[in-house]
Amino acid sequence: MVAVTTAVCRFVAVNATTAGFAYLLVVLAVATAWGLVEAIVASVVAMLCFNFFFLPPVGQFTIADPQNWVALFAFLATALVASHLSDREKKQSLEAKLHQREMEQLYALSRSILLSDTSKAVGSQAAQHIADIFDCKGVALYDSKTLEIFRGGPEDLPDVEGKLKQVVMQGAPVTDDATHLLVAPIILGGREIGGLALQGISLSDGGLQALLNLVAIALERVRTEEAARRAEAARQSGEFKSTLLDAIAHEFKTPLTSIKAASTSMLGDTAALTPQFRELATIIDEEADRMSLLVTEAVRMSQIDAGKVHLERKSVTVDHLLRGVLDHFSAKSEDRVLGVGKHEGLPRVYVDEELVSLALRQLIDNALKYSPPGSPIEISTGLSQHHVLIRVCDRGPGIPERDRERIFEKFHRLRPAKDRVPGTGLGLYIAREIIRTHGGDLWVEEPSGSGSEFCATLPVRDEDVKG
Amino acid sequence: MTAGRILVVDDEPQIRRVLRTTLTAKGYEVQDARTGEEALEAVRKSRFDLVLLDVNMPGMGGLETCRALRTNSEIAIIMLTVRDSEQDTVAALDAGADDYVTKPFSTPELLARIRAAFRRLPVSVDASPESVQLAGVEINMTTRRVISGGQEVRLTPKEFDLLRFLMENPNIPIPHARLLQAVWGPDYGGQVEYLRVFINQLRKKIEVDPSRPRYLLTEPWVGYRFALPEKPAPK
Repeated sequence: MVAVTTAVCRFVAVNATTAGFAYLLVVLAVATAWGLVEAIVASVVAMLCFNFFFLPPVGQFTIADPQNWVALFAFLATALVASHLSDREKKQSLEAKLHQREMEQLYALSRSILLSDTSKAVGSQAAQHIADIFDCKGVALYDSKTLEIFRGGPEDLPDVEGKLKQVVMQGAPVTDDATHLLVAPIILGGREIGGLALQGISLSDGGLQALLNLVAIALERVRTEEAARRAEAARQSGEFKSTLLDAIAHEFKTPLTSIKAASTSMLGDTAALTPQFRELATIIDEEADRMSLLVTEAVRMSQIDAGKVHLERKSVTVDHLLRGVLDHFSAKSEDRVLGVGKHEGLPRVYVDEELVSLALRQLIDNALKYSPPGSPIEISTGLSQHHVLIRVCDRGPGIPERDRERIFEKFHRLRPAKDRVPGTGLGLYIAREIIRTHGGDLWVEEPSGSGSEFCATLPVRDEDVKG
Repeated sequence: MTAGRILVVDDEPQIRRVLRTTLTAKGYEVQDARTGEEALEAVRKSRFDLVLLDVNMPGMGGLETCRALRTNSEIAIIMLTVRDSEQDTVAALDAGADDYVTKPFSTPELLARIRAAFRRLPVSVDASPESVQLAGVEINMTTRRVISGGQEVRLTPKEFDLLRFLMENPNIPIPHARLLQAVWGPDYGGQVEYLRVFINQLRKKIEVDPSRPRYLLTEPWVGYRFALPEKPAPK
């Protein structure tokens, strides 16, 4: 182009100034069309041509007039600055284009991740999407929770597993220039949740960060959904169990009703029964009771496990509560229970009366069953800041320290008692769950004397404390 | 003479069988029905003193049967059910039952409940006037008829006995246990929810505004009180 310009200018025989401007146009054109290097080369060549062909003495590289030196350098400087500016502009526009493309790719990825089918492995879908959208030769996505690696793209990326794990451990990205492999950790909330290996990808740092964030969100979304699905499944299974048990309970109670009615009818007719038949009828009666209790408690347990228990709380006095509990026991047992009706100074407790009565009944029933006949059961109460403490102490053999937690487990019964005392092994579990649902607790205390000592705390509302 | 006529309503044949045997042995005359529909039919055809009604029955359930029986009869009703939460008790009493027994029950307990249901509050001749006229409601103590807002309202025997007991002891709070023992019998005392339901029913029947009662007042934590505004005018 410089040569053409020179030829044209010579042929038309323009003056030196016009030729200089023509060269300048050429340099600008070169700078716009190609790059900075080409523009500089063009500038230098144009300067030399300008000097050689147009500045006197023409046909030599020497310059006679010092003014022409100034003109020559002005030309060179203008050419260089112009080509530099033009080149920068071009680079910026190129960058903007790349940036836009990146944005488009990231948008496409976020769309495809959001719309991905959650019934299939989202990791492998994400890896495939990344490979497709970013035109990557190989993608490997590592989920550090499930320890799975999902691959996408035509290349397999062998040995990438170790690198991914290493990057997740270190928390900083690694680039291998020789193989064009970029391995970066996926971080969400300051915690590494996986790693991403990309081969042959060209992305800015910002673009890479955005890509990693998108993948992190995709993984997290799947995890959250999975957790929610599991919780829902557990709830449904609990509810199903509870409903099923409820139905079974009804089926069991129907024949039990006939058995119980028949056995008690027999026992009620004292004159007609010989001692032997009385004993046998008593056994039928007791076992019917036991079976009925077992069914009731199994249903209650499943309701508690399924979270189906709704508390209907109100403020009641401890006295009222304990009296209600005692109403349940026969007069003979009631005489053994001491300390009821001596709790005047206590604030009202804020509880579901029916359920807490059931729990307390269980404690007293337990104490009656596991202590010698006729021995007293003592109930005492106390107050801590937001709780009323109720203690039930008996004079039985006590509970060995290692069993003090285990007796609250489902179906757990202490071995020596198993053979003597009828029970289901559910009562204490239910009692504790009821009290804990109220925000209180139930435990076995280190006894001060012999026997065992159960402590239950029941919540008190602030407005009831003063009363 | 029989001790009373009882209709046993249960879809379970063995329960009907054992109840029939037991109750007959105790001197009651027993007839049974398998469903609510059969029970209504039986009650239409002949007179019974008491219905033992199972809550869980196919078809027309126990609660519905109870309500249907209540629309045109003051017969004593005891409901039998396997559920024993307060909610279920209240549902049964709300449907119009006089009492409620949880399955499995013991025969002596059931017999006690039946006796309680048959029980009528003895008329204390000196204490009660024949008829009491209040604003908007007239209560006849002998005929057990109640006219409220110009219309006759039906009170079940237990409702009437409760109302009468309260009216015979006007203006003093009567504790829950005393009310229960007076109206249901000596075996009762802790069933506060019975009173809650029955008082509510009574308020609906005799109070002008049941949510703001004038006569049947609650004494918190104690019991109930019948507020008699002035000395009733004997008729």
